[in-house]
Amino acid sequence: MAIRVNPRLIEDLNRFGAADVQMCYHCGDCSAVCVHTDDMFRFPRKSMRQLQMGLEKRLDTALEPWLCYYCGQCSDQCPREAHPGETMMSLRRWLINRYDITGIAGKFFRSVQTEVWTVIIMGLLTALAALGYHLFSGSIYVVDGPDAFLPSHIVHMFDIALGSVLGIILLLNALHMWSLTMKEGGEASIPWWLYIKSILQLPLHFFTQKRYAECITTKKSGLYMPWIIHLGLMWGYVTMLVLVMVFLPYLQKGPEIFWPAHIFGYLASIGLLTGVFYFIRSRLIRKYAQYHKSHSTDWVFVILLALITITGILQHIFHRTGLPVAANITYLLHLMVVVPWLLRMPFSKWAHLVYRPLAMYFAAVRKNAYAWQEKKQRSFSPDLQPI
Amino acid sequence: MRIGVFFCQVDQEKLINLDQIIKYADNLPGVVYTRIFGVKPKLNPEELSILLKEYAFERIVIAGDSPGYFKPVFAKAMALAGGNPHEVQLASFREHGARGEEAVERAKGILACASYAVPYSLAAIPKGAPVHPSTLIIGGGVAGIQAALELADAGKPVYLVERTGTIGGHMAMFDKTFPTLDCAACILTPKMVAVGQHDMIRLLTNAAVEGVSGIPGSYKVKVRTRARCVDLTSCISCGLCSEVCPVKVISEFDAGISQRKAIYIPFPQAVPNVYMVDADHCTYIQSDGKKCGVCLKKCPKECINLNESDLVEEIEVGNIILATGYDILDASIIPQYGYGIYPNVITAIEFERLTNASGTTGGKIVTKTMQVNKRTGEKEWIFDSTGPSPKNVAIIHCVGSRDKKYNGYCSRVCCMYSLKFSHLVKEKIPEVNCYEFYIDMRAFGKGYEEFAERIREEGTFVVRGRSATVSMDNGNMVVKGEDIVQDKVVEFPVDLVVLAVGLVPAKGTVELCTLLGLTRDPDGWFSELDYNGNPTDTERGGIYVAGMCQGPKDIPDTVAQGSAVAAGVLRSITSGRGIGHHSNLMLSEIEARAKSIHTF
Repeated sequence: MAIRVNPRLIEDLNRFGAADVQMCYHCGDCSAVCVHTDDMFRFPRKSMRQLQMGLEKRLDTALEPWLCYYCGQCSDQCPREAHPGETMMSLRRWLINRYDITGIAGKFFRSVQTEVWTVIIMGLLTALAALGYHLFSGSIYVVDGPDAFLPSHIVHMFDIALGSVLGIILLLNALHMWSLTMKEGGEASIPWWLYIKSILQLPLHFFTQKRYAECITTKKSGLYMPWIIHLGLMWGYVTMLVLVMVFLPYLQKGPEIFWPAHIFGYLASIGLLTGVFYFIRSRLIRKYAQYHKSHSTDWVFVILLALITITGILQHIFHRTGLPVAANITYLLHLMVVVPWLLRMPFSKWAHLVYRPLAMYFAAVRKNAYAWQEKKQRSFSPDLQPI
Repeated sequence: MRIGVFFCQVDQEKLINLDQIIKYADNLPGVVYTRIFGVKPKLNPEELSILLKEYAFERIVIAGDSPGYFKPVFAKAMALAGGNPHEVQLASFREHGARGEEAVERAKGILACASYAVPYSLAAIPKGAPVHPSTLIIGGGVAGIQAALELADAGKPVYLVERTGTIGGHMAMFDKTFPTLDCAACILTPKMVAVGQHDMIRLLTNAAVEGVSGIPGSYKVKVRTRARCVDLTSCISCGLCSEVCPVKVISEFDAGISQRKAIYIPFPQAVPNVYMVDADHCTYIQSDGKKCGVCLKKCPKECINLNESDLVEEIEVGNIILATGYDILDASIIPQYGYGIYPNVITAIEFERLTNASGTTGGKIVTKTMQVNKRTGEKEWIFDSTGPSPKNVAIIHCVGSRDKKYNGYCSRVCCMYSLKFSHLVKEKIPEVNCYEFYIDMRAFGKGYEEFAERIREEGTFVVRGRSATVSMDNGNMVVKGEDIVQDKVVEFPVDLVVLAVGLVPAKGTVELCTLLGLTRDPDGWFSELDYNGNPTDTERGGIYVAGMCQGPKDIPDTVAQGSAVAAGVLRSITSGRGIGHHSNLMLSEIEARAKSIHTF
């Protein structure tokens, strides 16, 4: 079936950070140097071609952008300076927008003003709500317990409520992603047991990001540098998320709590701090191809994360050293960043935490389905030779 | 006439001081309006037409670097405004050479011509001067040879200056020419011999131009002929001196794949067919006559004089033809193909010498074999005619060409010579597998497409997609690339990799440029006066370019330019009136001339 082209696709993609797609003349260097490209999922050249042609439908259903960890080898070797790595990155941003059923992601990605103002307004609203609550109860001199300036049980409740709403949106988006990539884009019908068969791929890629470790520049850099840092950041973030979402009331019981109980929090903080420092620095000095161009959403992402980490750590220090006022103010600041951060969850770069491992899993399912179908066909017609 | 002048630029770089030009434009007859639109303006024909209507322009001049980019918008706006869309004139600063010190003056002239709707080349004709009948040709490649023969056959004296010891240039190194597969030497050597024997041609080999003075029509050129140390007239090229010479040097003529002696002849058919001494490597010269000197004793004609010194002479010529040709990009700067690391990755010119019947293996295509150097004890990889034949050969196109990291331009000949290579490989080793990795097949000339088809029919695997890397896997070379037609990443195990390396301007082009006051285009080749109209003339009167030094081209085009440039020279000699420098043109002259030929 013919595919209807969208000649304006590149113009739209440019707002997601792609710039030099038209420069590509299809020598195939990028695909050949990439360690992740294989017979079924070939990129970046193929995606570049689909972009140049404006094959929107093909790109909608593509898993390829998620299989790339952007090590930058392809951009380094590109003879046309078409930045295939950056194109894959832009496609990921574009796909987050396409998967989003609400349409908010597109607004954030296309306009930096919208995003920044949303963050600021959300932060101010949070502050307003907290101060409003303060009018009725709580004291600025109390950090723990029911009389606290921001009592943990209320914050926790709020966290859970917000988390569940956005979690549901994220889940719907993920379902949308599944229907796009696996129903429209995949082979005709994939039996359910194939999904079960590859289910382990999901936690595997989520927790190890092992494909990042296989990237050429990761190996070249020694110490597996960006991979270790990225992994540390992710582990730190997930640990912190679990601590906050599940164990917040236990952690904020009061000053009598045994300090080493925070061991997970400390480890997570180290991961987060190292991560945000490393990535902000890399994006500033722009030494490697993958940090040459930073989209506005990348900056918002790392800066918000850095602010959350720093305010969180400061709050903890003030709290534990007996400075309740300072602790409460930093706590308020912390929440002022956390709320917009959480609100952006399904609409921003954050979502790659979910989509990427999902895509790896779907890719594995598709590969199995392909092999299974080929086997089935061969058993029906034994004369048919594999091509 | 109501004229509007609009300044638009395509490039970011600011080449010209616009303020002065605008002031000048305001005072041009008929100009009622000037405006700067800046770099890459977003122009809307509808909006423009309102402006055009308001001023009721009868003619529009778009001025700037490459203003033709904006012509369609203005033409449409002009039509919408009810004007004549054909009255949109272009003042192309960069195309007409407004750069350097005289940029502003030149731009004014270009603008004046555009406002009169007169082509700049018609109005800008420099004053002439009497012409000396002799001509200097710098570079003895096929372009220089062709031009020299044309001029000499017309009865005009020619000085042919060549840097190396023989004329012939790169073409003499080739085995076959594409697409006819003629033997290159069979075409070239008769011409070389004709040059060597011609009464009207004075051959100055092993020589270089050191200084140029004078005006167009009578240049005085200082030529330094380096000591050849062998008498040109009495040497009978018996080769006895070379046999006894103990020094071995890498052969330039064999593109580095074989060795020659310190006293040598580049190749057997060299013109002049006389031995020469490489002073940098000769033991006798380097030790001030204390060591060696074996060749002196052995020479039967006693024509070797190792104490000879360089000869500097001044010659007077009317015209100068540049035919300096090209060099080949150093492939070792491109890391992914492993040239210089893997022994069996070779460049195209090395392959030419390998497959040439007069080459080191006698035309047998082999892979390199390892040998231990007896004197230094080091391992070396050399081509040996008893070595194994390759079973799989990869030919990689566009190496260093069309690549923003090296040469952005297309070297034009690589596609075709690569196809020729696969034919030669298949012809000599029938069972070989030959792979051509290409991005776009540029078979643009007469018979080229048919040649490309013929190669495909011969069974060469033509893979669309430039291969990305050459690597070593268990002692076998592997070429990896994406076959974008089949849409698969593929790996080919091969024994021999030939890199179709791109071309760069010859060594010394920059020096010659400053010596002669010429300009070079952004890629480094000599700029011609007008790419379409005057491809062999230059800015400087009486100086012409021919062949590769003006830009990559194939042998037919080079030969054609060699002949074309001779026509230009003959025109100036026979009319007795040389053309002066374009840069010396006075603005008032251009204005007056434009005014006299314009038709309002």
